[in-house]
Amino acid sequence: MRLRLIVDPPARGTWNMAVDEALLESAACGGPATLRFYQWSEPTLSLGYFQALADRDQHPASRSCPLVRRASGGGAILHDRELTYSIAMPLASRFGRAADSLYTRVHQSLLETLAGEGVRATLFGGTHASHGASAVAAPPLLCFQRRSAGDVVAGVQAADKIAGSAQRRQRGALLQHGSILLARSNRAPELSGIAEVAGVALSPHTLMDLWTPRLLAALGAEGADISSLSADEQKLAAGFERDRFASSEWENRR
Amino acid sequence: MTPKDLLYAETHEWVRIAEEGGRKVATVGISDFAIQQLTDLVHMVLPKVGTQLKAGQEFGEVESVKAVSSLYSPVTGEIVAVNSDLPNKLESLGSDPYVGGWMIKVAISDESSLAKLMDAAAYERQCAAEG
Repeated sequence: MRLRLIVDPPARGTWNMAVDEALLESAACGGPATLRFYQWSEPTLSLGYFQALADRDQHPASRSCPLVRRASGGGAILHDRELTYSIAMPLASRFGRAADSLYTRVHQSLLETLAGEGVRATLFGGTHASHGASAVAAPPLLCFQRRSAGDVVAGVQAADKIAGSAQRRQRGALLQHGSILLARSNRAPELSGIAEVAGVALSPHTLMDLWTPRLLAALGAEGADISSLSADEQKLAAGFERDRFASSEWENRR
Repeated sequence: MTPKDLLYAETHEWVRIAEEGGRKVATVGISDFAIQQLTDLVHMVLPKVGTQLKAGQEFGEVESVKAVSSLYSPVTGEIVAVNSDLPNKLESLGSDPYVGGWMIKVAISDESSLAKLMDAAAYERQCAAEG
């Protein structure tokens, strides 16, 4: 199996989420499995699908940033000094082991890549979320302040989460996207990135080039062909952006 | 644990068919296999009574710690009841997926949708193949 590899320039949040949705839809309709790397044209807060819009007020540092609601689960992410990836792939069952293990396989390949650069990171080992499932205590707003099994953690006593991912599963396909914190953002100054935790400066492109071979191996791919969205996927993404991710109804749905 | 008296969709929903008021009503939930794969459920969204569904159409969503998964109607018809308490007691789904864990009841308007559903033995074979 070869993957399609898309490396996108920085874009607005609503477009970034619309492209991921188009890739998911495409995979569900028999299209190719795609690995995509992307960045954000300005610091942007993405909310998890089930998070309440009003909860962004809990985080004053990002209050002036544009916001987009993701279709995936988990907590809010301030996308700034990071690398974002997505994987959209056909999948026989949205409840099978392949869907569940993807999270760990991707993160394992990342920490092996980071180890080669002198960054000591591990997978968070809890079997349950340490935040999130309790009806009593609300989970923190930010994804990077939550912990669940398979998160990539580093630093003193592995206290800092430096990478996290979330999935959207539908019939026939799965989307997984995630963020790797390269350095602290002044829009989320409470979070340390790889630069602060390990003293290693990585640019998004450097990490992408280093990680891609291991990531492809983790996905069982023999290689990847650099490509871009098809004309149909461009149209699909434009529709998803207009009708969903940029609409106030979507933003305010919770 | 796959009850023999239910039918199952390829997408892991179960269906209990009963006659109610002279019409066939399908009670729908998701299987124990699916729930076991979705550890740590945190949110669920169910539709409103009166919603028209076609077999295969999305009727709700469930979020585990990291994944939002769509739920699909195994039958065609109108929703006549919704287990609106269920999203508030998701922890009960793990121990009671087939009775208390029902999600919607659908008055079936097109029985041809039932032909694609599996019996318990066929569904268990599918689960074994999916791992």
